[in-house]
Amino acid sequence: MTLLSQYKEQYINQSIQFVVIDLDGKVLESDQTFITLKQDGFIYDVHPFFISYSSILDSTEDSMTYNCVHLGEGDMELITDIRFIKKENHLLLVIYDLTEHYVSYQRIAQARNESIINSELVVLKNIELEERERFKNAFIQNFSHELRNPLTSIISITNLLEKTNLDNAQHQMVDFLKESNTNLRLLLDDILSISMIASGRLQLRNKVFNLLKLLELIAFTYTSKTKGTSISFLMDHDQKIPEFIEGDRLRLFQVLTNLLDNAIKFTEKGTIALKVILNQKRANKVSLRFEVNDTGIGIPSEKINTVFESFTQLEEEGKKGGAGLGLSIVKGLVELMGSEIKAESKSGKGSSFYFDVTLTYAMNLASKPIENTKNKTVDISKLKGDRKYKVLLVEDDERTQMVLFKTLMDTNLFFIDLVNDGAMVFETVINNNYDIILMDVDLPNVSGDQITKLIREFPFKNIKNIPIIGVTANVFEDNVDNYLKLGMNAVVPKPFDFNELLKAIVKLLK
Amino acid sequence: MQKSKKIVILGHFGVGKTSLIQRFVKDSFSDKYKVTIGVHITKKIVEVNENDSISLIIWDLEGTDEVQMIRQAYLLGTHGVVFVFDVSRPSTFQNLNSDLKIVAEKTPDTPLIIVGNKIDLVIQDELQSLLKDNNIEANYLTSAKTGDAVNEMFTHLATLLNDLT
Ligand SMILES: Nc1nc2c(ncn2[C@@H]2O[C@H](COP(=O)(O)OP(=O)(O)O)[C@@H](O)[C@H]2O)c(=O)[nH]1
Ligand SMILES: [Mg+2]
Repeated sequence: MTLLSQYKEQYINQSIQFVVIDLDGKVLESDQTFITLKQDGFIYDVHPFFISYSSILDSTEDSMTYNCVHLGEGDMELITDIRFIKKENHLLLVIYDLTEHYVSYQRIAQARNESIINSELVVLKNIELEERERFKNAFIQNFSHELRNPLTSIISITNLLEKTNLDNAQHQMVDFLKESNTNLRLLLDDILSISMIASGRLQLRNKVFNLLKLLELIAFTYTSKTKGTSISFLMDHDQKIPEFIEGDRLRLFQVLTNLLDNAIKFTEKGTIALKVILNQKRANKVSLRFEVNDTGIGIPSEKINTVFESFTQLEEEGKKGGAGLGLSIVKGLVELMGSEIKAESKSGKGSSFYFDVTLTYAMNLASKPIENTKNKTVDISKLKGDRKYKVLLVEDDERTQMVLFKTLMDTNLFFIDLVNDGAMVFETVINNNYDIILMDVDLPNVSGDQITKLIREFPFKNIKNIPIIGVTANVFEDNVDNYLKLGMNAVVPKPFDFNELLKAIVKLLK
Repeated sequence: MQKSKKIVILGHFGVGKTSLIQRFVKDSFSDKYKVTIGVHITKKIVEVNENDSISLIIWDLEGTDEVQMIRQAYLLGTHGVVFVFDVSRPSTFQNLNSDLKIVAEKTPDTPLIIVGNKIDLVIQDELQSLLKDNNIEANYLTSAKTGDAVNEMFTHLATLLNDLT
């Protein structure tokens, strides 16, 4: 035998078995290469696969091949290709042992299928998470929105109550009531901020403002706040920081006060400090570090990463109160400013929160007094003319109706009509000459913004041009813009500040 | 020779075909996924009524992405088909109805049972709306893990095939 045919014999003979069976499946001959078959036994007793022989007999094909058939038992792998060939009065079976080949193929298929299924599961997981997040934000937004209406009433009625004849004890109770109202309102604003940041609806409004003045305001506020407590407040800023910078003053204020409030909350005694450090100044860019330090209880290192998550509270007993929203608002706002809030802390020694922001600064701006319009009483003398103005109030919430009605009446400047159903507005408007309309946006049937749009499309000039002030708890920036686009002249948020409302009215009636 | 019926289990990979058979034949379950290649064949004697039984020859086929790709030889002489999808993975039932059409063409005049498996992974209410939204009419909703409806499904098919002869 030549070497070659020896090899050939070795390879082929050891991996191919020939079997002849009769038309009942009885084994006539077998070379027993790897499956031992009893002479005259039925082949399907060896393995249920072989019952297939009868299907072949029934079919019109002369031969049939089955690939990748597992014939092994238990841990013994035997993976074969099997060919049935019809002969006269019997069948020839050729069984190829391809175990090695198929085992390596199985490994590839395993890796492939697993990775496909895993990536599918990741996608599903993400969809689920996003959906939950969306649901959560929508829920929070709707919920805080719903809370604003009753809160508006509570605040306004408290203000009215304050002006009635009260004895000392009652006065004190009203003061407590007012303080609680303010806290509730702040909390509601926080919740809205959080969900707006999370849903990407909050945008920074960058404008040039006086940084030094802002720091002065903060210093004043926190010096007063800590007066008479065992905490002292320190403010320290680099002398070279620019006076005017471009940024979102309100949001920077919110970040710093949230950090300071948080510091106060967790400090029994010692100091809390706000530091502003100049990192770098180049061309018209300046990099500043804002840092808030305290000597409070500190944050254990395992918790330092979770303090910025919504609704976590360092002191689990919750005795410090608050929903723990401040720091997550800080995190979100600082990220919007293109930076990152960092925290360092030693348990029992105190904490330090800081972030670096790069801002544009204006070099040659003369310091001008910051206009403070808030809390200034509105000058209504210009309206004190010969006649009263006719106001249409479109509002469905009874408490808001009552409050608005009473406060407007108290000025002695207005006649007021009331409509509580959006569908009634048109008829009323056509039959009266109103000077101004106060329009709640969230009305049953037709919404206030849609009514506004329809009024603006009226063919009569005197109706078409009536000033309309939207009153709404729906004060997201994009909503407000939309209301203005639809034809409202101004939008006053609920819970409203009466002065703000009056100011808007005065401005539009002039 | 015992009366025997061949059934094939079809469906995408990973839907639990092998696990359903293992639950039915050995009453066991494993969380580990071992990809089936080619075909595994098992036999189980099934009582179809008080004094009658048949031997069910179960062909566990390699799952494919496309039903069209199933090797024709495997389907030869099939008496019944079980088509399995995974209720927790949309990709396995998104094209269910067109998959079933192809299966019906490949195995004409053969009883077909549609099975949604892994019901232990989804919430009952969500499952119902999921089936409705995708226009799926499953004959059995099973869990190879908990054993829910597995025996019923196979026994029903065996009885059905027995009655057909
Ligand atoms: N939770 C759960 N997992 C299952 C069920 N059936 C199968 N599995 C798992 O799904 C994977 C794929 O199962 P397998 O039977 O190999 O699927 P096949 O490719 O269709 O044969 C394995 O990890 C099984 O453990 C079930 O009913 N419930
Ligand atoms: Mg399998």
